Amino acid sequence: MSLSIALTKGRLEKQTVAMLEELGYGVEALKDKGRALVFKDSVHDIQYFLVKSNDCITYVNHGVADIGVVGKDTILENENDNYELLDLKIGKCKFIVASLPQNQLFSKVGHIKIGTKYPRVAKQYFLSKGMDVEIIKIDGSVELAPILGLCDGIVDIMETGTTLKENGLVVLDTVCDISARVIVNKASFKLKHEEVMKVIHDLSKRVNEDVD
Amino acid sequence: MQQIQLPQGMKDTILNECEKKKYLQNTLEQIFESFGYEEIITPTIEYYETYENAFKNIQTTDMYKFFDENGRILTLRTDMTVPIARVCASKFKDSKPPFRYRYTSNVFKVRQKFAGKRSEVTDCGIELIGLDSKSDVQVLSCALEVMKNFKNYTLEIGNVQFFQAACKVVRLSTEEVNTLANLIDKKSMVDLKVYLDSLYLSEKIVDFFMHLPFLCGDVNILDEAYTYCFDDSLKDVLDSMKECIQSLKELGYLENVTVDLGKVAHLDYYTGIIFEGYVSGVGTSILSGGRYDCLLKKFGRDLPACGFSVKLDPLIDHVAVQSKKKYKLYYPQDKQIEAMKQAKKLRKEGIVILEPSTNESIFVEEVQA
Repeated sequence: MSLSIALTKGRLEKQTVAMLEELGYGVEALKDKGRALVFKDSVHDIQYFLVKSNDCITYVNHGVADIGVVGKDTILENENDNYELLDLKIGKCKFIVASLPQNQLFSKVGHIKIGTKYPRVAKQYFLSKGMDVEIIKIDGSVELAPILGLCDGIVDIMETGTTLKENGLVVLDTVCDISARVIVNKASFKLKHEEVMKVIHDLSKRVNEDVD
Repeated sequence: MQQIQLPQGMKDTILNECEKKKYLQNTLEQIFESFGYEEIITPTIEYYETYENAFKNIQTTDMYKFFDENGRILTLRTDMTVPIARVCASKFKDSKPPFRYRYTSNVFKVRQKFAGKRSEVTDCGIELIGLDSKSDVQVLSCALEVMKNFKNYTLEIGNVQFFQAACKVVRLSTEEVNTLANLIDKKSMVDLKVYLDSLYLSEKIVDFFMHLPFLCGDVNILDEAYTYCFDDSLKDVLDSMKECIQSLKELGYLENVTVDLGKVAHLDYYTGIIFEGYVSGVGTSILSGGRYDCLLKKFGRDLPACGFSVKLDPLIDHVAVQSKKKYKLYYPQDKQIEAMKQAKKLRKEGIVILEPSTNESIFVEEVQA
């Protein structure tokens, strides 16, 4: 049976396509893609499509895509009804808590406000610390929010930490590590078991090679 | 502006969807009836406490809640098994088991916004109450009779006892068991590894839990599962599953049956086998059920039970309805009575729609589907 794979557009896409290419998948069309959004594999009975990260989960939830490649950050922030079978170990970064050094976020007495693009992740993290905080949704340049006094701290993704440092913020804690994951629709996993498992096995072989 | 919006998650069933849904419903009800299941209808509204009593880990945000005139919390039923357990344990408390009930009812769950999910869905199912796990095969064969109506399907069987027996031997706390079950059920392999490492279990046991999500597929996987058993109680569960599979084979049902020992959902509810049916082209399970031996006790009568329900709505596009013949009978106004007489005769053959026309004479046309 034919498989549909949803790839998250952007940085993850390039690295995933590179992995698939090394494994002998026919992904030429994905490398020189123009404006097309759907691509056929020239070797296997697979079609790929490129979507935004949140949509990747939605497509797989509905089984329109059998397999999806998406960051753990997106999985944590959305309702994901799918199996999460593999860590591709690419797109590595972290969810962190940061604030201005003088803010004393964890020892502050009183109302605490947290700015973030990821309200669900932030809420859950602070609840697990026994803190009930107010979440303020920010869509970009989250670092700015504590500087301007909109909130006491932020929960955000950190790759190198340079942006934080340049804006005088310090990292107080790591919420969790993030990397690209392979998710599989439950019904697809049952009905196209062999086809799905072949892709998973191929990819996991490739991931383990890198580790060795 | 006129008020034309529907509340979140609601949908009108229109065009030929009704016909297809009814057809599917009739097909399933006939199967259930032929197995001796009696129809039961319960109220749409239940006390919230009824559900609170039934589930330890109740998902309160999923439920539609409101108050009665005395301030008691009411809820729209979220399933039919709980109301049926309530009826059976109270209204039939002195009757002799077993009880066989069937239902077709709309159930309600508040679903995530803008995700293409329905908050009101029609469930069609059965409950076999008063017989223990030796009768699982009866419920499974009924489920397979349902699945047979669809092209390219699979019925997947698991047993939560396999996982629970392992947890018992390892002496995990309830919280640990629940976290582990959630990770295994979601086949969340990365987080599972991290969590298992944090529990400091022996290598053999970590190996068991890491393999559990992949002990799925063809029924022969049960033989492989024996190699991971670190206690006889685990082997006992596999023995009983093999026996069940063997019975299905004898009954000629084995085609399209698969196994998933990593299916460990709703541990506060299911106590034995747990199964789900999938149909090609639908991204979610369309049939789900299992054994729930502890539920009836919560309503005052300790009886084992097993059942399943089928979700009609996602299946609508997967039924081939044999449509009736349909005619349009055109008539001029002065010949209406004459036209109605003809229509009366023609209705023996199919559906007749009277259509006013400017023609002078009556004429009949068959409508192509």
